Amino acid sequence: MEAIKAEIVVVGAGPGGYVAAFYAADKGKKVVLVDRDKRLGGVCLNAGCIPSKALLHATGMIREAEASQARGISFGAPKIQLDKLRAWKDSVLDKLGQGLSGLSQKRGVQVLQGRGHFEDSQNLRVETSEGQKFVHFEKAIIAVGSRPAMPAAFDLGNPRVMTSTEALELEEIPRNLLVVGGGYIGMELGTVYATLGSSVAMVEALSSTLVGIDSDLVRPVMRFAEKAFKEIRLNTKVVKMATSGKQIKVTLAVDGKQIEESYDRVLVSVGRAPNCKDLGLENTKVTLDDKGFVQVNAQRQTADPNIYAIGDVAGGALLAHKASKEAKIAVEAIAGEASSFDGVVIPAVVFTDPEVAWCGLTEVEAKEKGIKVEVARFPWAASGRALTLDRTDGLTKLIIEPETERLLGVGIVGHGAGELIGEGVLAVQMGATARDIAESVHPHPTLSETLMECAEAFYGTSPHTAPRKKS
Amino acid sequence: MDIRVPRLAEGVESATVANILVAEGATIERDQVVLELETEKAVGPIPSPGAGKVAKIHVKSGDQVQVGQVLISVTVEGAADQAKKEEPARASVKSSAIAAAQAAAPVRENAAAPGADAHRYESRSGFPPPAAPSVRKIAQELGIDLTRVKGSERGGRIALQDLKAYIAALQEAAAAPAPSRETPPPAAKGVDFSKWGPVEKKRMSALRRTVAQRMVESWTTIPHITQMDEADITNLLALMKKYGPRFEKKGTHLTFTPLAMKAAAAALKKYPIFNSSFDEATGEIIYKRYYHLGVAVDTDAGLIVPVVRDVDQKTIFSLSLELNTLVERTRQRKVSLEELQGGTFSISNQGGIGGGHFTPIVNKPEVAVLGLGRAALKPLVKDKKTETRMMLPLALSYDHRVIDGANAVRFVRELIQALENFSENELKEWRG
Ligand SMILES: Cc1cc2nc3c(=O)[nH]c(=O)nc-3n(C[C@H](O)[C@H](O)[C@H](O)COP(=O)(O)OP(=O)(O)OC[C@H]3O[C@@H](n4cnc5c(N)ncnc54)[C@H](O)[C@@H]3O)c2cc1C
Repeated sequence: MEAIKAEIVVVGAGPGGYVAAFYAADKGKKVVLVDRDKRLGGVCLNAGCIPSKALLHATGMIREAEASQARGISFGAPKIQLDKLRAWKDSVLDKLGQGLSGLSQKRGVQVLQGRGHFEDSQNLRVETSEGQKFVHFEKAIIAVGSRPAMPAAFDLGNPRVMTSTEALELEEIPRNLLVVGGGYIGMELGTVYATLGSSVAMVEALSSTLVGIDSDLVRPVMRFAEKAFKEIRLNTKVVKMATSGKQIKVTLAVDGKQIEESYDRVLVSVGRAPNCKDLGLENTKVTLDDKGFVQVNAQRQTADPNIYAIGDVAGGALLAHKASKEAKIAVEAIAGEASSFDGVVIPAVVFTDPEVAWCGLTEVEAKEKGIKVEVARFPWAASGRALTLDRTDGLTKLIIEPETERLLGVGIVGHGAGELIGEGVLAVQMGATARDIAESVHPHPTLSETLMECAEAFYGTSPHTAPRKKS
Repeated sequence: MDIRVPRLAEGVESATVANILVAEGATIERDQVVLELETEKAVGPIPSPGAGKVAKIHVKSGDQVQVGQVLISVTVEGAADQAKKEEPARASVKSSAIAAAQAAAPVRENAAAPGADAHRYESRSGFPPPAAPSVRKIAQELGIDLTRVKGSERGGRIALQDLKAYIAALQEAAAAPAPSRETPPPAAKGVDFSKWGPVEKKRMSALRRTVAQRMVESWTTIPHITQMDEADITNLLALMKKYGPRFEKKGTHLTFTPLAMKAAAAALKKYPIFNSSFDEATGEIIYKRYYHLGVAVDTDAGLIVPVVRDVDQKTIFSLSLELNTLVERTRQRKVSLEELQGGTFSISNQGGIGGGHFTPIVNKPEVAVLGLGRAALKPLVKDKKTETRMMLPLALSYDHRVIDGANAVRFVRELIQALENFSENELKEWRG
């Protein structure tokens, strides 16, 4: 059989893979894009960012309506039509999926549906529904992403034990739900189910949830979760799970004791594992790190000079926009352009209630690395806009390099923090100083003012906070 | 499309045009090697980033060129041309920014450039110098190190203007006559050898000149001592015989050098002073916590020492794979400058050619070098009995400013131990 010839083959069509394929095609390359799923878009579109944010938005309305009562506007109890909610969410995915197909056609990107397997450093075998196909490539970009980690002890083959993928399918609203793992995915999906009416319990093996994020940014989220969830158990480990009739019996270890509890459903959100298995990487020179992620350099080239890796499979921040940025860097490197991931600022957003967002250096990281910083904070209780929104549960802070007053990082918790962080990214990436932010006029009354006022607070001149004590 | 001098390596900003492989008017393909540049110790091929016709060659063989300088202009035809037409706005914005930043004269990042050397950005936070992504990109494309550019904006941020000013300063410096870099060696100048018989004159290649210069520098600044000994490698050779075919089956050749590298890495870990460098300016000894070993390769053009990184963390199998291709690429002179830098210790194995003890020269800024001769059967008296064993001549030259004789003996003993008691398990790991 004649092999398909490609200048670049991209394996995996998530936000890493399809961006790489499109960008390479825009640069005049002959590109083949391979994904085992019919709908392009990867985890992000099919079982990640998009469906989770759709559900968070839709269910957020319930809480908004509830809070509205205290402001004199009541709607009565919400009626939830689960089928309709699911259909709406699915229609969003369909629309975006069709968009991607159309865009790849317009660019002349050849899409192969099937599982890819490297035969060597220049040939990829693709198992399609019409049998095997072979792609002979000059360069390959691995963008196969990651999947939910499922410890063998929890893998009962019982649909009541879910990962994020199944939880987003929204099969039913369980009476009670156990969320195992207090990372951002557990927090977000726990919020969705709690709002829909499930009694949600969360267990976390470590001493706090949302580990790694500055504690002042996490606090408002915890205050919400403590109310919305039935309970949050820290320092608690799930030892065992077993099917027991229509429930799952869970054995928990707390303080050296073991307790047993039963739940209608369990969501396991204990992290993600790279999709490196059965990819034929052993036939190439690609190397993996000790966690199984593909090792890459600043150009996202692997130890095999013909092969690049981007997105979740290359480790680092497991975020869609990181994957897309790496896609551009890898394609530019392949095209012989100067390009590097060094110095790229990657923001992160947790879509809880309220949202948490940050970019650049965090306080936790500054402490770990021994970097001396000054931190300016502006609590939203002092923001007129936050009051009019009835959302004073927020905080904006700037992490500043003392000698130069340069912004090294921005952290925000509060309503719409995800939208606000864009300004932070621009500022940090541009090398802006606190003075630059303080002197840029922000519209009133908006939450974006909190960034400006925070910078002003750094100089002790914010009109809405107490003057800075002169020491 | 212009083919420019790419970023060569950390801290290397200039090169010599060694060969021009195309002529004006020639049609070239993408990735076709159009020119070769010679830097310090290697010749690097410069491939064309696209297909087209050579419009103009801006340099000639022997020219000194700088990072970012245009070497060859190519007119692009066909598909790529089309792609260009489709997005004229974008392409022209980008190229005009670069054109604005770089004029026709060559760019030279030279210490003598006014303002160029004066500035070095250092952030206590370890962050790169503040600059907009657009400015960063242009600097990247021109191979300019932004830490050397002084930013005029708030907080030291570098504006496009600052970058232009920096480039202009470099060009001015480049236009001034370059200070002669090396004093010509006071050789047998003036002697007319043809008086006594027929002679042939050949110009020393740039590589040979560099080797000569480095040898003189090392020999004249480092007080060399060479410690000699022998290792009994009878058992090790038996292991090699046993595992050789298995390596062949896995697609590589098992040679002695990777074993010696592994043994040396172990000894270096135990005696870190041999893995150090001496900073003459500050009087500091710099201990390196990585084990990158240089391997002397004999090429047609002269000695080249490419570096194998993190030897301590690699299996014999992966070292063999890497070394075999590295040696091959070195012989074809295709190694990049990066691959010649960062060594912490070197090995010169003459065993393949033959030879006994010799006195290798330390590869500065390293402080020690190990020379291996050819192993030979020799009588060895053990427990009052004489046996014939394969004995390998070892010669360790070291910098006596940093290392004393007693330490050298300990290091060599450690090395011998490592070779004589080599663990078979190391040959069983196929991890890549
Ligand atoms: C519940 C949830 C919520 C999330 N929310 C956010 C968010 O809000 N913001 C954010 O930035 N990130 C979010 N993420 C993370 C985000 O989804 C990932 O970081 C992103 O999808 C990674 O992109 P990628 O291109 O690396 O790979 P993926 O999106 O994982 O895509 C990989 C593709 O490769 C295919 N594939 C795998 N193996 C093969 C093979 N052998 N042959 C062919 N195809 C193969 C897969 O089918 C898949 O389509 C979320 C993730 C989850 C699970």
